[in-house]
Amino acid sequence: MQFELRTQVIEPQRKTFQHLIDRYGDRPASRYEEGTIDLQARVNYHYRPLWDPSKEIYSPDYSALKLTDAYSFVDPRQFYYAPYVTARADLHEAFGATLAYLDKRGMFQRLPAAWSSLFQDVVLPLRHYEAANQMIASGAARYGWGTSITQCFAYAAFDRIGNAQILSRAGISFGGGTAESLDLAKRTWLEDEAFQPLRKHVEEMLVEKDWGVAMVASDVTDRLIYGLFYTALDDAALNAGAASYSLVAQHLSQWFTDQRRWFDALYKAWVSDPELGEANKALLGSIVSTTLATALAALQPVAAKADGLVDAGAAASLATAAEQIVAAFAALGVTVETPAS
Amino acid sequence: MTITPKAPRKLTMKQRYSALTRDLEWDPSYVSDEEMFPLTSFEGITIHDWSKWEDPFRLTVDAYTKYQAEKDKRLYAVLDGFAQSQGHLSLTDASYLNAMKLFLQGVSPLEYQAHRNFAMLARHLNGPGPRFASLCQSLDEIRHAQTEIHTLSNYNKYYAGFHSYLHMHDRVWYLSVPKSFFDDALSAGPFEFLIAIGFSFEYLLTNLLFVPFMSGASFNGDLPTMTFGFSAQSDESRHMTLGLEAIKFLLEQDEKNVPLVQHWINKWFWRGYRVTALVAQMLDYMLPRKVMSWKEAFELYFEQQMLGGLFQDLAYYGITPPLHVDKAMQEKEYLSHQAYWILYQFSHAAAFTTSVPSDEHMDWLTEQYPDTFPIYRTLWEKEKKNIAAGGRHFIRGLPQLCQVCQIPMGFTEADEPFIQAQRESIFEGERYNFCSDGCQYIFDHEPVKYRQAWLPVHQIYQGNCGAADLPGVLDWYHMKPGDGGEYLGSLDNQNWKKWHDMADETGGN
Ligand SMILES: [Fe+2]
Ligand SMILES: [Fe+2]
Repeated sequence: MQFELRTQVIEPQRKTFQHLIDRYGDRPASRYEEGTIDLQARVNYHYRPLWDPSKEIYSPDYSALKLTDAYSFVDPRQFYYAPYVTARADLHEAFGATLAYLDKRGMFQRLPAAWSSLFQDVVLPLRHYEAANQMIASGAARYGWGTSITQCFAYAAFDRIGNAQILSRAGISFGGGTAESLDLAKRTWLEDEAFQPLRKHVEEMLVEKDWGVAMVASDVTDRLIYGLFYTALDDAALNAGAASYSLVAQHLSQWFTDQRRWFDALYKAWVSDPELGEANKALLGSIVSTTLATALAALQPVAAKADGLVDAGAAASLATAAEQIVAAFAALGVTVETPAS
Repeated sequence: MTITPKAPRKLTMKQRYSALTRDLEWDPSYVSDEEMFPLTSFEGITIHDWSKWEDPFRLTVDAYTKYQAEKDKRLYAVLDGFAQSQGHLSLTDASYLNAMKLFLQGVSPLEYQAHRNFAMLARHLNGPGPRFASLCQSLDEIRHAQTEIHTLSNYNKYYAGFHSYLHMHDRVWYLSVPKSFFDDALSAGPFEFLIAIGFSFEYLLTNLLFVPFMSGASFNGDLPTMTFGFSAQSDESRHMTLGLEAIKFLLEQDEKNVPLVQHWINKWFWRGYRVTALVAQMLDYMLPRKVMSWKEAFELYFEQQMLGGLFQDLAYYGITPPLHVDKAMQEKEYLSHQAYWILYQFSHAAAFTTSVPSDEHMDWLTEQYPDTFPIYRTLWEKEKKNIAAGGRHFIRGLPQLCQVCQIPMGFTEADEPFIQAQRESIFEGERYNFCSDGCQYIFDHEPVKYRQAWLPVHQIYQGNCGAADLPGVLDWYHMKPGDGGEYLGSLDNQNWKKWHDMADETGGN
C-alpha cells in the first residue's frame, strides 16, 4: 500500500536526536553529526579492564593531552564511513590508473639509474614506516577519548595500510611483477645502517602508551618524511627526468594534505581549549621538541643516503621541513626548541 | 628433472596479498616483544607461530574501499528516497517500530563498541594477518553503527522512543543487558574478545541476533532497515570467517588453549544467549506481521546450524557444545513469553510500548507453542479483563536483577515453568543473585569482575539516578511522554491514525 501525501505535509516531531539538539539547537543535523557526536559512552561502565584495572574502559586519562569537551573538535572533512571510503576509493583508483600507465610504458625501467636506486633503497623501505603508523593510529582509535577524534584515528590507521600498499604495489611493478624489490627494501629497513636510527625511533613510538604523545610524534615524523620524500624530492625528480617517481609521490603527498586538514584542526582544538589550552600548549611544546630532535637525527642518515644517490638537496630539505614545523607550532602558540642540525 | 625458469617468477594471488599485508611486519630489535605486544600474554593463551593464521579473506585497501563505497551509495539512495516519499507511512503499523527502537537503543551502540575494540586488536595482536583482518572489521563496525543510525534517523523525526538512544543505552535498566554484555567483552583481554565477539557473537549467535530484526523489517514494510541488512551481509560473512579462523587458530596452536577456549565458549554462549531474550520477545510479540517464532529461529539458526554443523567440526579439537545449552533448548518453549511479560509490566519505564496481543496474534502463538502458550494465554485473558475494568497492569516497584545478565529475575526453572529460578553465590561475605545456572557459572569464575556491575536498580537505590521516585528516574533517563507504556492510545498510535486519515482524505491509497 502506498500513500500519496504530496499535498499534505506531515510535520516532524523533532529535527534530529536529542543530544544534537542540546548541543547545536533545534536544527536538522548532518549525517556526520548523527554518526559521530556522543557515540562513545562516557559513563556507567560496568567493569574495569582486566588488562589495566586502574582505568575505565574508556577514559580521558589514556593521554595527557585532553579537551574539556571532546566534541569541541570535529573533523573539517566531515568524514563518516561513507564519504571516507568514497574518497579513498577515488584515491586508490587514481593510483591504480597511474600504476597501469607506469607499467604500460615501462616507466620504472626508464628511471635514471640514480633515481632507481633512490626508489629502491630509500623510498621502498618506508612501507614499513607506513605499517607501523597503522598500529599507532589503531591504538589511538581504541584508547582515545571522544568519537570525533577516534574516528579520524581509525580512518588514518586504514589510510596507513593503504599507503603501505601503494608503496608495495609500486615496488612490485618496479620489481617486474615480483617481490624481489620489496624483499630487498625490507632488508634495507632491517639492516642498512642509515635506516637504523629511524627504525629505532619508530619502534619507540610504537610502544608509547600515551596515544596523544604517540600520534603527535607520528605526525611530526610524518611532516619530515612527507615533506622530504613526497614533496621536495618530487620536484627534484621532475627536474631530473624521473617522472615515475613523481607520479607515485603525488598520490602520497595528496593524501598527506588530507591528513593535515584534520590534524591541524585537532591541534587548534587542543591549544584553544578554554580550560586546558595552556596545559596542552606546554605539553605539545615538550612532545614536539623531543620528537623533532629525535626524528630529525633519525632521518639525517637517510637524507644523506639520498644525497649520495641524487643531487636533490635532501639534507637541506629536511632542515627546511624541521624549520617549518617549529614555525607552524609557533603560530599555534606552542614553543618548540629548534633542534641542533 | 626441472628446468629453472630464466624470467623472475611473478607473484601468485596469495603471494601478492601477503606482500601487501603480512610482509609489512618485522621483528622489533630496539624494543622487546613484550613491550611491543603487552596484552597477549596475561590470558594464558599460547601461540607458537602467528604466521600460521590463515587469512580469512583477501581484501586489499583499494578493493575494500571501492566495494564498500558502492554499497553505501546504493544504501543511502534508498534512505533518501524513503524519507522523501514519507515511506514510514507504509509500515504495517507504528507498533512495528518498537522493534527498531530496541535495535537503535540496544544494538547500534554495540556496533560502535565493536568498532573501538577491533581497533585494539588491530594494534595489539602479534600477527599482521589477524591485525589486518581486525582493522577491516573495526571499520565495518563503525559503518554498521552509522548506517543503522542514519537508517533509523528518519523514524526518529516522526516517532517516540528514538530521540535519546545513546543517553538511554548508558542508563536505562533493560539496556544495561546489552551494554554490560559488551563492556564485559571490552574489559577482557584480546583473545577472550576474539572468542566473545569474533566467534560467539559474530558466528555462533549472529543469525539469532540479526536475521530476526532484518526479516522483521522486510515483513513489515521497513525498506531502509531491510536494505541496511542486505548491505551489511557481505561484511558479516567476512566477520564470520574471521571468527571461525580465530577459534581454529587458537585451538591448533597449542592443546593447552583448548580448556580456556572451552570456558570462553561456555561463558559467551550463555552471556550472548541471555541478550537474545530481547530478540525472542521482539520476534514473537513486537512484530505486527510475524516472520517466524523464536522457537523456530532457535531450532534453525542454533540447533541445526551450530549444534548440528559447527560443533561437529569443533569436536575434532576436543571442543564440546557450550555448557547449559540444554537449558537454552528447554527455554525456547517459553523464553519469549516470559521476557515479553516482564517488559509488558515495566514498559511504563521503557522507551518502547507494549500491548496485550490480539486474539489473532494469540492464535498464532498457540499454533507455534501448543504446549506452553496456553498457560500464558490465561495470563493475557486475565489482563484483558483488568484492562476492561480500567486497570492495565504495570509494576510500580523495582525488580531484582540478575547480577550477570542484568535481566529482571522473572525466568522460571527450565524444566518447571511455574517456579521462578533463583541462584545465589556468596563472595567475600556478600550475596549475589542470578537468574540461571549459566549466569551463576559465569559469576563464580570471575566474581571480582561481576561484583563491579553497574546494576540499574542498585544504582537507583543508591541515589545515583537523579531521583528516588520513578518520575524522577524517568526524567534522568530522558524519557518523554509517549516513549513508553501502553501502545494503544499512545502518541505514536494517535499520530499513526491521524496521518493515515489524512492520507485517505487526500485520495491516497
Ligand atoms: Fe556489525
Ligand atoms: Fe542472568
